[in-house]
Amino acid sequence: MALVSAKSIFYPVLRQSGQQAVFSRRNLLLLQHRNALGKQLYLPSIVLQRYYAEKVVYSRSKPHINVGTIGHVDHGKTTLTAAITKVLSEIQMATAKAYNEIDNAPQEKARGITINIAHIEYETSNRHYSHIDCPGHADYIKNMITGTAQMDGAILVVAATDGAMPQTKEHLILAKQIGVENIVVYINKVDAADEEMVELVEMEIRELLNEMGLKGDTVPVVKGSALCALEGKKPEVGSESITKLLDAIDSYIPVPVRDYEKSFLLPIESIYSITGRGTVVSGRLERGKITKGMDCEFVGYDKTMKSVITGIEMYHKILEFAEAGDQLGALIKGIKRTDIKRGMFLCKPGSVKPHDHVEAQVYILTKEEGGRTKPIVDLSQLQIYSKTWDCPAQVNIAEKKIIMPGDDDKITLKLYKQMVFEKGQRFTLRDGATTVGTGVIINHLPNLHQTDRQILYAGKKGIEKLEKKRQRSKA
Amino acid sequence: MHFQRIIRLISTSSIAKQSSNKSPLASLRKKTGYTFSNCKKALELNENDLEKAESWLKIQAQELGWSKAAQVQNRVTSQGLVSLIIDKSYGAIVEINCETDFVSRNKQFQELSQTVVSAVLQHSKTIINETSFNKIILDSDKLKALSGPDGISIADHTALMIGQIRENINIKRALAISVPSDILLIGSTHPFSSNNNVLYGKYGVLLAFKSKALEMQQEIGENLCQHIIGMNPLKIGEPEIDQANPNPEDETTLIHQEYLLDHSLTVREYLEDTGTHILDFIRFEMGEIAEGQQNLDAVETGG
Repeated sequence: MALVSAKSIFYPVLRQSGQQAVFSRRNLLLLQHRNALGKQLYLPSIVLQRYYAEKVVYSRSKPHINVGTIGHVDHGKTTLTAAITKVLSEIQMATAKAYNEIDNAPQEKARGITINIAHIEYETSNRHYSHIDCPGHADYIKNMITGTAQMDGAILVVAATDGAMPQTKEHLILAKQIGVENIVVYINKVDAADEEMVELVEMEIRELLNEMGLKGDTVPVVKGSALCALEGKKPEVGSESITKLLDAIDSYIPVPVRDYEKSFLLPIESIYSITGRGTVVSGRLERGKITKGMDCEFVGYDKTMKSVITGIEMYHKILEFAEAGDQLGALIKGIKRTDIKRGMFLCKPGSVKPHDHVEAQVYILTKEEGGRTKPIVDLSQLQIYSKTWDCPAQVNIAEKKIIMPGDDDKITLKLYKQMVFEKGQRFTLRDGATTVGTGVIINHLPNLHQTDRQILYAGKKGIEKLEKKRQRSKA
Repeated sequence: MHFQRIIRLISTSSIAKQSSNKSPLASLRKKTGYTFSNCKKALELNENDLEKAESWLKIQAQELGWSKAAQVQNRVTSQGLVSLIIDKSYGAIVEINCETDFVSRNKQFQELSQTVVSAVLQHSKTIINETSFNKIILDSDKLKALSGPDGISIADHTALMIGQIRENINIKRALAISVPSDILLIGSTHPFSSNNNVLYGKYGVLLAFKSKALEMQQEIGENLCQHIIGMNPLKIGEPEIDQANPNPEDETTLIHQEYLLDHSLTVREYLEDTGTHILDFIRFEMGEIAEGQQNLDAVETGG
């Protein structure tokens, strides 16, 4: 009887996620099969996010890498991208894209944020690449904040005829800022320069990289002409240089660590109480693996509670274990339904810590992107949404006191409750019904004291009142 | 991969050789910063004589800049900087555009805007002698005809910069203001940065006001500048004439706007509380006027 009621309660949740779950299981099985054959297992964290029945199923046989081109507007970034697709299309590893297809890339909207960006996809024999080219500094920063395509490595394009430009320094500052350490240099237009010039350009670039604190002595430098490759002329500087460049990217830019052995984490979506059995929490397992009988911990809303997972159920079926990506229900021992709340995280004991004071990089949406016209000011109160939780927070802005729509900036957030807020976790800032901005956690600050909390609850008005009182008592 | 490593070995070893006996091309490039192809050409024309080549480059730079400027003149310049300077009762604000925001973050570009804004300030001092309330709007053509502190015209400065940066640069607009001595002139930019008394940012505001709270004058002025940057009012407004907009979100009259730093007040209330009177303000936002079209509203902002 108890089991029957459990099923009926589970049903609406599972119906929502059912289709996704079917696909993910099939995929996992495939991968396990491959793993058994001795190949490496690469399972990106996005496994469940997008599955459309009518589309071609993306094969995960190769590790996926995001690369981007950076460089001066005239130095041939777009030509190089077009040349890469052309050279690879000859061996059926990409679809050839013409120069103007890439150059006139439509504005993309990611989470309501407009990014001018060209996305190109291609493969080498070892890897699958997503290649991006953003026109400006702000575009790359937005990309980093929204997480649309985090760059794992970059190709710096420099024309042999010009050498490094004054703004090349700014390009490298950007690369460092968004955490790109691995850079491959492509010296373009060598057909228009002589050998001496090309060598000097290489020297200059290595020097500049060193000066900027990047690995100037060891970066691979490939010399060629993207235009020749695109037009099919002089293969020794044309298509061959492209092949060399791809080899360099393949070997120099490491595969980012996508770890499935991490401690498990499940943001709770719903909680049910099942008579005779206990409390069940459901949600998608973000990472790691859980088995029946494992110790677990609930973290969030100022609380931390320990418990044990006594059962796992997915799709009306009992499971022995569940893996990252699974939408599941977990039966919990000794905890009442009312003790837990949506937005708490179920995790391995001690693996995550609650935080209420963090440093974040944010992008504030413009009116056209669905944001406000007004800027955000220091001490304003906004609602933070991240994973399954939401919580009010106070925004602290250093020095300049305001952030205009369209700006990106660093802020400090003081949350009203301690929540699971890990480095790299993304969130949105909302004010009533409007999304104000989006952000990513970059640093943890010491948690708030009781007194800090009181000031926080008092808000901006309260702080001013206290200030006035103090002044009055002085006078 | 092995092949790759061998290639790398070869090239670095030849570099080591190169750097030990520095070629004239390398030293010329390092010294002047001109492009490799231009340095090469200079050496060829001057029979590898470094000094001659360098002076040739300097003479050619202007010409090369102009030819590059002609090449890139149709490219869209949607990024850039607003810069402003205040010297007692004189103030100037300028918008300069370029193609990418990488360039607008560049020091050399900031130096150019410094030259331009100083030229505008100088210009306003020469044509406005009496210390009365005055405003001059300068468009792109008038601006290019001005000359910088070194006597070289702004147009030449710009061409030189285009030659170096190889991006289109557009001196968009400028405004100079002078106020009587009993009026305070203050300015602010966002995001704020400054160098040699020049302020830079994507937004810039010049504000002329009077306040009874003498000690707090500076702070009140800065707060109001911040409000004007953030809330983008189109005019100051008269309490008797201008009606408040029924929807406070769409309010464009300064005095009826909700005060940015304290939502419980309107700007009018804040001004009354602090005994402040605003005479005029000018707000420049980078890129607010689209290429090739002059938006009259934006030019007359605060008029």
